Amino acid sequence: MASFDLTLSPSQIEFVAKPGATITQAYDVINNSENPLLLNTEVLPWHPIGNEGNVSYQNIISSPNILFSLNNSDIKLGQVFTLAPGQKQQLVLKIETSSQASLDDFYYTFFITQQGQTLDSNKSNNTQTIGKIGSHLLLTVSNSEDVSNKAQITKFTVSPKLKDIFLTPLTFNAEVKNNSNNFFKTKGTITINKNNVKVKELELSDNNVLTHSSRLISCKDQTDCTFDPPFWPGSYTATLTLDPSLSAPSATISFFVFPFSLTAILIVILTIFFILFRIKKRFFPHS
Amino acid sequence: MKNKTSFVSILFIITLLFFIKKDIEAQSFSSQSYQIQFGNFNVTSGKKSSANYTLTDTVGQNAPGQFNNTGYVLKAGFQYIYDTSNKFSFAIDNLSINFGTLVPNVGSTSTNIITITTPSGKGYEIIAVENRPLSGSNPGVTIPDTTCDSGTCSEAISGLWTSNNTFGFGFNAIGINSSGVATGVGTSNYFTNNNYYRQFANSATNETGQVFMSENKPVKEHSAKITYKALISRSQAADSYENSISFIAVPKY
Repeated sequence: MASFDLTLSPSQIEFVAKPGATITQAYDVINNSENPLLLNTEVLPWHPIGNEGNVSYQNIISSPNILFSLNNSDIKLGQVFTLAPGQKQQLVLKIETSSQASLDDFYYTFFITQQGQTLDSNKSNNTQTIGKIGSHLLLTVSNSEDVSNKAQITKFTVSPKLKDIFLTPLTFNAEVKNNSNNFFKTKGTITINKNNVKVKELELSDNNVLTHSSRLISCKDQTDCTFDPPFWPGSYTATLTLDPSLSAPSATISFFVFPFSLTAILIVILTIFFILFRIKKRFFPHS
Repeated sequence: MKNKTSFVSILFIITLLFFIKKDIEAQSFSSQSYQIQFGNFNVTSGKKSSANYTLTDTVGQNAPGQFNNTGYVLKAGFQYIYDTSNKFSFAIDNLSINFGTLVPNVGSTSTNIITITTPSGKGYEIIAVENRPLSGSNPGVTIPDTTCDSGTCSEAISGLWTSNNTFGFGFNAIGINSSGVATGVGTSNYFTNNNYYRQFANSATNETGQVFMSENKPVKEHSAKITYKALISRSQAADSYENSISFIAVPKY
């Protein structure tokens, strides 16, 4: 039973290059399957869709000013090659930016594609599956290494806004928009204050926000940005601050913590006492 | 006298240099296609771990850091390798999906398992696309892509498909754990349960490949069971039907 099992590293590279510069990047491709794989390479442009880091390859025209080739002596870009079981092949991708390249961002995926195999004519009614694995390439063409970015916090919310001191954590959601021509990373913090005293600071993960698109934030060491209980009752504020280089005004929200669970327990205890008192008064009036 | 002593000392040092042989260590990597030599050889580096911590270190790296120069930005220092060289793996356990002999009004299913690993980074997405619907040897004879029981499912929307009077070809994907138990991890946004199906996007008609499995965090060997289903009517022409499906795994940027 033939299988496909391929490892590609690195999974993403990011470059800042001047127009006319040439860059090379080595990729390791490993065939982890027990059968030889017939493979091919291609580079496709993409654009971001949504705010969760998804991409679309539909209707994108590749820039004529960014050229790709392989530096390997025996494998050309788009040339079929075979990888034996367990074999590792290094592919050296050469990226040439023309001096005419616009000062902009260019997003590509370097794909390793399995070549279609001949269908088994002895088996009627079958579907052949093909594996394809890609590594993203984020390229900024700029005359300056220090590209200026302009970010905007378009959404910052906390859930729930009225919270018990125990039980579930608080979850912060935020969206950052890139209003500039080059991608940046969501460096920054969420600072939670109570009575103007910092009680917690969450560090943002460095998610890439691509040019003229938006991205949801996430926090380091956790998928969502959460603040775990217990909390002291009272009023809190949370401030999302991005790195000063992103020129984005910070955003502040407030939420309230109330001891719902303690109050509920107290009410239950008082109710039980009250019922016991009434029972005692009714059945043992002279005791 | 003083000049004589200096001359003898210099001669002695030069003689010593000839006799004390010191190998200069460098690092080189080579394959059939190239050879790369590194002048720098660090003291130690790698990943150390115990039950309570994981430490990555580089000791002795010459001139680590980010360097900006004409034409490029260079991030030097092995610690950067952990930042960018995330091994991204994708596997399909069976490439040939055989439906056997199709019987009218009886759904034929076949399965395989896909597995993905993104040890770090921002997660992944897996896109599916077919080269054409299941097609017979005679031109134009196909088993059309399913529209499910409601007649509304497509390559972008899944729908319930349990009726044996709903004909077509489609697929379901359900995230499973290492024991093969359905968990819906990675697929629950696309398929409610294993009775929900959708079409493969048809590249022959320029349909866009659709994401059917994704997560927003690093994962290790997350799997999904793909169920392919074909169901024909009594009027379906007898033939051998075939097509090809591409599963495209890319990281989230």
